[in-house]
Amino acid sequence: MGFESIPWKLILPLVIIQFILIIVAIIDLIRVRDTNGPKWLWAIIIILGNMIGPIIYFIVGRRNE
Amino acid sequence: MNNFSVLFQKEWRENVRNFKILWIPLVFLLFGISEPLTNYYLPQILNAVGNMPEGAVFQLPEFTPEQIVMSTISQYQFIGMLLVTLGFAGIIARERKNGTATLLYVRPISYISYVYSKLFIMCILVIGSAILGLLANLYYTYILFGTVDAGAFMGFLGTYIVWLLFVISIVLFSSAAFSTGIASAVSLLLVLFVQLIDGLLGAYWTISPWKLPMYAGEILNSSVDMTLFVWSVIVTVLAIIILLVGAVYFAKRNVSKTKI
Repeated sequence: MGFESIPWKLILPLVIIQFILIIVAIIDLIRVRDTNGPKWLWAIIIILGNMIGPIIYFIVGRRNE
Repeated sequence: MNNFSVLFQKEWRENVRNFKILWIPLVFLLFGISEPLTNYYLPQILNAVGNMPEGAVFQLPEFTPEQIVMSTISQYQFIGMLLVTLGFAGIIARERKNGTATLLYVRPISYISYVYSKLFIMCILVIGSAILGLLANLYYTYILFGTVDAGAFMGFLGTYIVWLLFVISIVLFSSAAFSTGIASAVSLLLVLFVQLIDGLLGAYWTISPWKLPMYAGEILNSSVDMTLFVWSVIVTVLAIIILLVGAVYFAKRNVSKTKI
């Protein structure tokens, strides 16, 4: 499947939303004082964890206090 | 009422600052969009990730638009509910622990408007995100699979909103009654685990709040048994009222547990 045949019009919103999620998670990670576990580990999870990474960070990693 | 609007503004500001106002709608949108896409492009995805023997032919089922919406709902039922229960379990309990509550409780606030400001912000976040995600889902389903009957979809959406209200009131109640950790365990148990039990053994009874998502799907396929459905809605609404009254009661009773 070539680059041209990928239906970008349909997939682009998905990519944009995922990108925003990653950016928001990273900004939050920088601003927050403590996380559950080391911060650099969460940065790796957020960036490499694809779709699930930022979600896991927001649910588990964020210490809501 | 003034009391309520001040408390609501506080909740709003808190949720803007911890980005909940942004990431919860985004997650629901993400799942709403990705579900029709992955189902539509499944053959290509299977080809691309490979390891298929030469000449293997898969007979993939033809999905109806209704089935796609339902599979999105099953995603929401697991990941969405996990998000709601864990993300909001501390909504009242946390304030008791970190001292915000001491600032609140020394003032003559009414506990009803205190709990209702929480209820209101959760409704906006959770129900708003779910509607947003389902509308995006409907759009993609329309492009890729075909139309869903608008009237049936409205009925489905309404039923699902009642279910979401039920989940929200469970989370609020347990957060008012227990500490954060126990509250998340209790609401997870009540939302996800009971739902599992209901799915496994549920053939023996027909009226239960946990069956509402199923009835919502049946409304979408217009094959719902109206009496059972109406009774389930009535039971659920009663449960919501009881849980909310209980939440106000426990919020008042647990004032003494506030950490100063």
